[in-house]
Amino acid sequence: MIQLKHISKHYPVGFGKNEILKDIDLRIFEGEFVSIMGPSGSGKSTLLHILGLLEEPSQGEYLFDGEPVHKMNEKKRTQLHRGAIGFVFQAYHLIDELTVYENIETPLLYKNMPAAERKSRVADILDRFNIVAKKDLFPSQLSGGQQQLVGIARALVGEPKVILADEPTGNLHSDQAKEIMELFKQLNEKDKITIVQVTHSELNATYGHRIIQIRDGIIA
Amino acid sequence: MIKNYLKIAWRNIRKQKFYSFINILGLTIGMTCCFLIFMYVRFELSYDSFHKNKDRIYRVVTDVKTPTELIEADITSAPMGPNIKADFPEVVSSVRINQSNTLVAIGNNKYDEDKMVYADATFFDVFSFPLIRGNAKEALTAPFTAVLTESNAKRYFGSEDPIGKTFQIDGGKATIKVTGLMKDVPENSHLPFDMVLSLATAEAMGQNLTESWGNFGMLTYLLLTPGTDPAKLEKKLPAFMESHIGSTMKGNNMYYTLHLEPLKDVYMTSKRNAPVKGSMTNIYIFSIVAILILLIAVINFVNLATARATERAREVGVRKSVGAYESQLTFQFLCETMLLSLFAFVLSVALSQLLLPPFNLLAGKEIAYNIFSTGAIVWFLLIAISVGLLAGIYPALVLSSYKPVVVLKGAFSSSNKGLFLRRGLVVFQFVITIVLIVGVMIVYYQLLYLQGRDLGFKKEQQLVVEFGGVNNMKERWHDIKQQVLNVQGVSGVTFSSAIPGRFQNSAYSNIEMKNGEMQASNINLYFVDYDFIKQYEIKMVAGRTFLPEMATDSTQAMLVNEAVVSSLGYNKPEEIIGKKFDQWGRKGTIIGVMKNFNYRSLKETVSPLTMRIEPEAFGPLTITVDPKNIKKVIAGVEAIYSRYVPEGRFNYFFVNDDFDRQYRGDFRFGQLVLTFAILAIFLATLGLLGLISYIVIQRTKEIGIRKVLGASVNNILLLLSTDFIKLIAIALVVATPLAWYLMYKWLQDFAYRIDMPWWVFLAAGSVAVVIALATVSIQTMKAAMTNPVKSLRTE
Repeated sequence: MIQLKHISKHYPVGFGKNEILKDIDLRIFEGEFVSIMGPSGSGKSTLLHILGLLEEPSQGEYLFDGEPVHKMNEKKRTQLHRGAIGFVFQAYHLIDELTVYENIETPLLYKNMPAAERKSRVADILDRFNIVAKKDLFPSQLSGGQQQLVGIARALVGEPKVILADEPTGNLHSDQAKEIMELFKQLNEKDKITIVQVTHSELNATYGHRIIQIRDGIIA
Repeated sequence: MIKNYLKIAWRNIRKQKFYSFINILGLTIGMTCCFLIFMYVRFELSYDSFHKNKDRIYRVVTDVKTPTELIEADITSAPMGPNIKADFPEVVSSVRINQSNTLVAIGNNKYDEDKMVYADATFFDVFSFPLIRGNAKEALTAPFTAVLTESNAKRYFGSEDPIGKTFQIDGGKATIKVTGLMKDVPENSHLPFDMVLSLATAEAMGQNLTESWGNFGMLTYLLLTPGTDPAKLEKKLPAFMESHIGSTMKGNNMYYTLHLEPLKDVYMTSKRNAPVKGSMTNIYIFSIVAILILLIAVINFVNLATARATERAREVGVRKSVGAYESQLTFQFLCETMLLSLFAFVLSVALSQLLLPPFNLLAGKEIAYNIFSTGAIVWFLLIAISVGLLAGIYPALVLSSYKPVVVLKGAFSSSNKGLFLRRGLVVFQFVITIVLIVGVMIVYYQLLYLQGRDLGFKKEQQLVVEFGGVNNMKERWHDIKQQVLNVQGVSGVTFSSAIPGRFQNSAYSNIEMKNGEMQASNINLYFVDYDFIKQYEIKMVAGRTFLPEMATDSTQAMLVNEAVVSSLGYNKPEEIIGKKFDQWGRKGTIIGVMKNFNYRSLKETVSPLTMRIEPEAFGPLTITVDPKNIKKVIAGVEAIYSRYVPEGRFNYFFVNDDFDRQYRGDFRFGQLVLTFAILAIFLATLGLLGLISYIVIQRTKEIGIRKVLGASVNNILLLLSTDFIKLIAIALVVATPLAWYLMYKWLQDFAYRIDMPWWVFLAAGSVAVVIALATVSIQTMKAAMTNPVKSLRTE
């Protein structure tokens, strides 16, 4: 489903360059649950951003469902974003001025979905995550775990093929973290959603099928 | 989708109350100014547009050329109009208009009528002043007939039907019958009047309208056939003049050239005079001021929005990562600005409506009563939308261009993006502010100068009473003077035909030149008595004044001013003494030369003036009064007046007040500029306040650290102010030449003007610095006074 060929990424620093990723080859199959691990600054977040089209590689090829992403224009990429990829962030990144309901609804708005369908989709997901009672609250009124739940709900509502999670439990207590990881596992097994997560935690990594270790920009 | 945008926009407006307040208040003030000025400009440009034939009506004007000067007059002589109509088939109709005033008497009631005109019967053919009663073709054909406006008819006859009613004019010399009733003249007519008398009346009362080719005083308008090229007609006019009075022109060495002016140019763009005159310069100035004030408000918005852009950056990142196009985000942010702008629009419309009455007062005319009835509201909406776009587009582009990775990683704190632009815009605002401050100071300085300048005659404590209605003045003026002089508190009395600051006649005059030839020209004329020069303290530079003991002085003597001396080519005033003159049937010699005195507004240089003694023409009586006895004097003079003019109305005024009335328009201009300058300063301060409060928030941590390291409150103040002081210094450098140039242009309107004082620029700069410092200090104080432990802990 996802195939990276000779991907590298560097930033210019002074007269030289700072290499973050070096010649990465990676394949992720449909239905997999992959954990990317590595020390700080190893390039794992950058890798995830490249997978999520938020950043462009300096070199190399990226095929998503067999299609060459690196050759797509901005518009095509945005469409891929909307249709196939859901993001979960460490800091949740909910929009403060929107309610829980509206936060979840936002991706659907960008898909130009009719109002009725939008409503039922959001209602479904609120129901499934047991947060119907919280739908009119603003993010600041929720605990961290609840905020992350909303973040995941927002990632899921567009029915993506793959969820990319950047340290989704990094800001949470261990209890809350466990809950979130169970949820990911369930999504992977029942809904057949491909999941790629970046994590520091050995424990969280074990929820996945496969662990990719990155060190100094190279897959170990 | 839009609903979502509006929702988040609304929540943002409410969340950021302070910034929203600054933005909405700024935009509202800016738009309100803009709307009101828009109404004013539209009104000024609408003059005479209500005439159905406006594109075919032309005013005939005359260039009078003598060997020494060229007079560009707005008037013609009486025979010109009818003869042009008779000679040229492309002229459908011509109408002559003579502005006049009189005292109307109906039974025992007296009414001052200073807005009356005499006009040909063709008046209503050429112009579209709709008649309510009476026949437009015949109402003004017979002598002693009049058409009244609705409100004037009400003034004279109350609710009675005015048609067929009569009234008397000129102290009972003629009885006039009302033959028509017309709608009131629209405010935007360059010819204001509330009564039209048939020109045949003037003729019947002895005015020669058929042969007096050299006697100027008539406004003449032509209605041309459709498709006539006025330029072609104008080219035929010199031959026309030649055929009628060619030999006279040659004989007098005085040549008339006729020109045609489109009606639409008469009020605004023509450089010649008109009964009511507009000023294109003012239109430009106000339009520019309106745009500048709006720009200041827009700049406030742009500055605040870009400075605060980082606060919205995370939202941009999130939205992009869930699939928003950049264009969608741009649109979203534009929607927010638009919402603010429309909010301000609604407030501005309401505010403009509220402010219309005082604005009418300030402008000195009824521009409009109701904003909604004028159709201007569509334009206002367009202005509001443009403002929204102008203010919103740049911040929207900046915001929507943020890269999600950069933003969401959290490494992104404050950007210097747009810092340069922001500084530029602050400089721009201060340039506008400084220019306006300089403008206000120079306008007022100039006006004070005009009021304080020595005019060359005494204008204080001179009371003027109009004795124009006295019968047989020639016999009685001595008695009147003697009686007024006996009133306690009166120290001097003099009769004349005109007084400084008011209209004076001009006369076709022949005066001997150096080479002995007689030169004809049209010269201003005062008829005075023996005391005039002494009582007005006018200085003589050569010869002597009129003396009662010189028998010939009463008919054969003339005084001229220095302007006459130089216009006739004499080098020294002494040279003109004893030269011959021939004026209005009187012949004699020049006995004295007066020092130039400003008998008209200081906008003009002193033009040639002659004085003679001619008691028949006496009207105003100038009375020098003791300021302690003014009330008694007025009562005493009134008693004398009513004995001599029982049917008249007693009117008095003081020369200095009356003279300063000529600058009323300029004072009004000064007030308007002052108002706008204050608004501009207020808006710029508001923007500065917002910007600084944001900067202070951003730098709270830095301030805390500096304080921990030992910085005093003053150090912190200096740190934050220095940036702005630098910007103001730059603004001052840019504003100085600009303000100098603009005010230089404005001062050109005045023949007597101040040298622009250098300190005005310094003062304006200081005002800007003080305002900026005050604003910075208030905001900074708060941050600098807080305990650093507090601000650092929150980080």
